[in-house]
Amino acid sequence: MRSVAVVGTGQTKHARRRDDVSQAELVREAADAALADADMCAEDIEAVLIGNMELFEGRGLPELWVGGGAYGTGKPVMKVATGGTSGTSTAIAAFHQVGSGLFDRVLAVGFEKHSEGHTQTGMALTDPFWDRAVASGALGNFALSVSQYVAAGHATEDQAALVAVKARRNAARNPHAHLQMPDLTVDEVLASKMLAHPLRMLDMCPQSDGAAAIIVASDAVAREHNPRPAWVKATATRHDQCYIGDLDRRLLSMRTLRDASAHAYTQAGITDPVRDLDVAEIYEPCTYAELAWYEALGFCEAGEAGRLVEKGVTSMTGALPVNPSGGVLSTNPVGASGVIRVAEAACQIHGRAGQRQVERADLALATGYGVYAWADVVVLGSEP
Amino acid sequence: MIRTESIHIPFTYAAGGTSSIFLAALRDEARILATPCPACDTVICPARSSCPACGGPTATPVDVGPAGTLVSWTELADGTTLALVRLDGADTSLVHRLAGGDGTWVAGQRLRARFGESRTGAITDIVGFESENGAGR
Repeated sequence: MRSVAVVGTGQTKHARRRDDVSQAELVREAADAALADADMCAEDIEAVLIGNMELFEGRGLPELWVGGGAYGTGKPVMKVATGGTSGTSTAIAAFHQVGSGLFDRVLAVGFEKHSEGHTQTGMALTDPFWDRAVASGALGNFALSVSQYVAAGHATEDQAALVAVKARRNAARNPHAHLQMPDLTVDEVLASKMLAHPLRMLDMCPQSDGAAAIIVASDAVAREHNPRPAWVKATATRHDQCYIGDLDRRLLSMRTLRDASAHAYTQAGITDPVRDLDVAEIYEPCTYAELAWYEALGFCEAGEAGRLVEKGVTSMTGALPVNPSGGVLSTNPVGASGVIRVAEAACQIHGRAGQRQVERADLALATGYGVYAWADVVVLGSEP
Repeated sequence: MIRTESIHIPFTYAAGGTSSIFLAALRDEARILATPCPACDTVICPARSSCPACGGPTATPVDVGPAGTLVSWTELADGTTLALVRLDGADTSLVHRLAGGDGTWVAGQRLRARFGESRTGAITDIVGFESENGAGR
């Protein structure tokens, strides 16, 4: 495959409700921002990819209804839907479309308007025989794995609360972020409502309305559109089995993310991720997941993730800032969340991350997490 | 302008050959079946036609449970308690609910399935799992 790069990114303002725009207008807002960032016009775009979990809006064929909003009319348009990984999968699909030589300039946009549908109903459309009647919905299902992770001594509630505080304080420097809680404290996290033991309200991601877009370009044209393109160094995707009874050490092993990151690190020449990476944007549906992902991503040994946060290694001033954007814990329009991870990582390489910019961002990680244990990993760099 | 309405989605799903045997045994005899995978040397519950780990065909179903061990649990805000239960004889866990007790559960404790009186051929024919020494702990 030839080299490809992200040359433009764009995000909407993310919020609990965006009643001021339709779904198509929301997508247009992100697409226009990405086109402007890449100094491109809509006519330059040869193909469009849409990431969305349509069950959450209760409206089928989103690629039809919002395709025009993404400037897809008269062009190849394709939808990608893989749960929480939808956005990262959409970005990876765009990398493949350009890398294969099919197109030179592709727009990938992810969106979700959770306020327009019923997310819990969408989550409940799981396996009708084994899951739906007893344990549907993301929260309880995920809590089973978190409970096991905590019982095994891998994290404490105080360490999880530190992750919540780090995310929301970072989000305060991100004008796109949904939750703005710059003064959040550990005590406030621990005092928030218990939703599903041991997960509290402030351990969880919100439901957001929002869209994010990236422009992917070939090596032939990338530098025309960005003086510092974010080159795709590696991608890896792993899916897993569909019944959590079969995956009952899910967070303790997280073998999909472990395998995908190991594969991506090899492709990108990374041997020590905390040393080699300059920034990471990881898809953490809750605080405890961020800690479990540190282990799976090789940031630390098993059971050491909490200490990493306590020592500030992953804070903005640490050796490896994780989620300068505030992460999924601060903004979660599901179909967009993975695109946001890739867009934020690219934006850091571009040097356009404003108040959330890290120093010397030459190598950046973005990940996706979906359904029961799916994992996407993307590594972007300042050199092809 | 904002438009509000709702859609009702009816469904009719087929369980497939092996899982239909599982559901019929649960309904008619209050037995819990699992399928051995000859390639992985694991016993998979609920019974399914192919191994979820390796994809290979499974062997004739065998009985597991009705007693087992609590692997993990969580209590939801509405008081429902979800659990992963490893039934005796099985190598994978069943996702189900805990019943009775005072809400104090510990991973590793022994459990037993409580079956409903009128069963319909659904996973909820097991009402839930209770402590092996009586309801709760």
